[in-house]
Amino acid sequence: MLQFILSGLAIGSVYGLIGMALAISFYVTRVINFAQGQIMMAAIMLTATISSAGYPAWAAVILGIASSCVIAVLSYIIAVRPILAFDRFGFGWLVSTLGFAVILENAAAYFWGPTSRPFPPILNNYSFSIGNAVLTGQQILAIIVALVFAGTFELVRRRTLYGKLGVAVATDPDMASAIGGNTTAVAIAAFAISGLFAGVAGILIGPSTFANPYLGSTYGISGFIAMMIGGGTEKPLSAMFGGLLLGVLANGANALIDSQASDWFPFLVLVVILIVTPRGLFSSGGFSFFRLIGRTR
Amino acid sequence: MMASSFSRRAVTGVVLILYLLGTWLAANASLSLQSLILVAGVFGILAISLDLVAGMLGLYSLGQGGFFGIGAYVTAIAVADFNVSPFLMLPLAMLASGLCGVIIGAMSLRVSGLYFAITTFIFTLVLTVMATDMQITGGTQGLLGPAFTDFPAGLAWLGAPVAWCILLALLAAVALVWNIRRSPLYPVLLAIRDAEPFAEAAGVQTSRIKIGVFGLSAALAGLAGWLFCFLGVVSPGQFDWSVSLNVLVMVLVGGINTTVGPLVGAAFVSMFPAVVAINPWLEEVLYGALSIIAITMFPAGVVGLIRLQFGKPATVPESTSVPAIAVLARDEDEAGLENAVECRGIDFSYPVGPKVLRDVSVTVRRGHIHGLIGPNGSGKSTLANVIAGRLRPVAGTVFVKGKPVNGLSPSGRARLGLRRTFQAAQLVRELTTSQNVSIGLYTTMPGIVRRAAVWPLLPSGRRDLSWMNSQAAGALHAVGAANWTGREVDDVPHGVEQLTQLASVCVAGPDIIILDEPATGLSSGEVAHLATILAGLKAKGVTMIIIEHQTRFLLPLCDQVTVLNAGEVVLTATADEVRANPIVRQVYLGE
Repeated sequence: MLQFILSGLAIGSVYGLIGMALAISFYVTRVINFAQGQIMMAAIMLTATISSAGYPAWAAVILGIASSCVIAVLSYIIAVRPILAFDRFGFGWLVSTLGFAVILENAAAYFWGPTSRPFPPILNNYSFSIGNAVLTGQQILAIIVALVFAGTFELVRRRTLYGKLGVAVATDPDMASAIGGNTTAVAIAAFAISGLFAGVAGILIGPSTFANPYLGSTYGISGFIAMMIGGGTEKPLSAMFGGLLLGVLANGANALIDSQASDWFPFLVLVVILIVTPRGLFSSGGFSFFRLIGRTR
Repeated sequence: MMASSFSRRAVTGVVLILYLLGTWLAANASLSLQSLILVAGVFGILAISLDLVAGMLGLYSLGQGGFFGIGAYVTAIAVADFNVSPFLMLPLAMLASGLCGVIIGAMSLRVSGLYFAITTFIFTLVLTVMATDMQITGGTQGLLGPAFTDFPAGLAWLGAPVAWCILLALLAAVALVWNIRRSPLYPVLLAIRDAEPFAEAAGVQTSRIKIGVFGLSAALAGLAGWLFCFLGVVSPGQFDWSVSLNVLVMVLVGGINTTVGPLVGAAFVSMFPAVVAINPWLEEVLYGALSIIAITMFPAGVVGLIRLQFGKPATVPESTSVPAIAVLARDEDEAGLENAVECRGIDFSYPVGPKVLRDVSVTVRRGHIHGLIGPNGSGKSTLANVIAGRLRPVAGTVFVKGKPVNGLSPSGRARLGLRRTFQAAQLVRELTTSQNVSIGLYTTMPGIVRRAAVWPLLPSGRRDLSWMNSQAAGALHAVGAANWTGREVDDVPHGVEQLTQLASVCVAGPDIIILDEPATGLSSGEVAHLATILAGLKAKGVTMIIIEHQTRFLLPLCDQVTVLNAGEVVLTATADEVRANPIVRQVYLGE
């Protein structure tokens, strides 16, 4: 029991980080970056390559995370900005961010080949027992890092001028630029931060998945579910709660139903949650379903 | 006129013959070329099914992959496990996916725009997972689709029957959207997309139409799935979320809301891997790059680009004859009724904030022009919205022609003969003024929805369309906007937008009209003309409620005037009494 909750929290914090990455870029631009999972994959691949070239693991990790920030900003400049400049409410970004994902995934498969490569173990070789459960150092690291990142983000968003500018741009870009906010700079910053979150998620999960070019879509979808369960489309922090819940539920389903259950169980949860509260469990509106019922004729 | 319709028929005939010839060639082509064409044809149907909802209704469905999968799996399972004839499965597969579409549509239409896309996306995710994990679907291996029966020996020269089936289905799908684009339903659909309040005020049951069209789109995707299962193996990977997104790529790259665009996009996306014979990973990278370039450089798609280069083809033939505006016969049994509209004790407030209307009681006599004046924020437009049904009062009752209508939607009230205009004109900007006006005829023309799929083929359809066009032209003429008949709303000044709204209201021959600041943006000459139009309508017995700030224009017209201030009725009296009233002078007339 304790075992699957704790390891669920560990994998859930990775889902949560990707969900937050999706939510942060969505928050500012109203665009779901379908390349988010592939951006995480890029961080994993680069870290693995640099470390197997003989450089120390810490350098590889830093470069890997930096690369995912850069790629995320590139995805904004190439695939999002031109679309929004044409029509802020259009849906062209669905096509262009997917195109960016296709490019990343297949370029990685072309350069590195489709097979898995070794990834530096970081803390994966240490294990700790908590009660009757055993966790690897990497799993504990994942939980701690995720909570620190999520907490810091929320503090910055609420308490600093930069965070408030982000809120302003998210609410009304025209107004925000009219009062002197540089909306492009805010959007680039948001995508860089989303790349940071995705890169960190990649480093946390890398030692157990190894480096594979096709990791992107699986984890991208999990991050998306985390965001939707939590209600991260309105508040990025909610995506972290959604991710933790998703991780625990998926692990629990594996332990209590059967070993395949984690494939479909999260979707069942997602559908139920969206029927009950379409904007997610932890959104500011909460159970808005009932209010909607009350308002519709 | 005769010659042009004859030459149009000749062109249609030639295109049809060429298409059948092409189908015959494809049916006798080498296997690899044939499968390339057939896969493109199936995706063409899928792209058309998406364009139907995304282009005409603005519902960006990412569920098309799911509906496609339902059609294919239902057929494959029924044939493999229950030995049903595949042809019997065609209607069943379309019905199954269509029903799923109706259910998903009804569930997710409360959420709009992006959330609709997300809900349908999740639907596809769930279906893929189910197909992967269930026993009956054969897991990741999938199922082998049924074989298509051969032609009888005498018809063997026709080639592969499956090719005929797919390409004729594609032709039928193209004809369907082609017909809808040329039916009076098309402006109505665009109105639902761009100006939903306007559509509702014209009596269109917008959510029903949305759900119905989404169901039709899902059934088309199911048809594509049924056809697809004859092409080989049916497995989860062929229907996952990336398929849904690729269908959207097809539509956007080819040109959204065009008949040919989705086909161009489908051919591009599905043939790309075969035509570009390089390393498959590099080919995918190139595909990704090309779709980004296409969507960023040509947001209107290939067809949009061609239109930009060669000018826009004229779409609607304008009728030149201008009949007098028809006033429809009114039900005589209501003759005894005194009150057209009555509000009793209306309270209204938004979920947060103070009350906007407080115990408002107004009675509008039949055949009167009833003015509604008051300072900004006094609740005039809110009251108009409450009467028209857009807002629900917290307390109190609205009566229209003596019937309590609190439970009635805006479209239901429009059907009672209550029409309205909006303060900020709600029109479809890419349509002409007369197409916008013809939306107002929605309730007077029976069977617009029912006949839309075959409209241009019906003699009655052609006759009714030209009747609607001439009615619309007549209404525009009557309101003094005759010079703007063929112009797109995007190109007309603000005042003409107001007149277009008025024409779309008058064309239906309503009993009661609510006008929300009709004189805004009009020149003084146009205002004078508007006054004569309104006086003319009154002479025909139409009841009017008019919100207006230009009291010099409004007060001489009115039989009764209600003055609102801060959500409360100050007084209801004749224009002269209102002008003389000291409170009104203080709060509104500013003396």
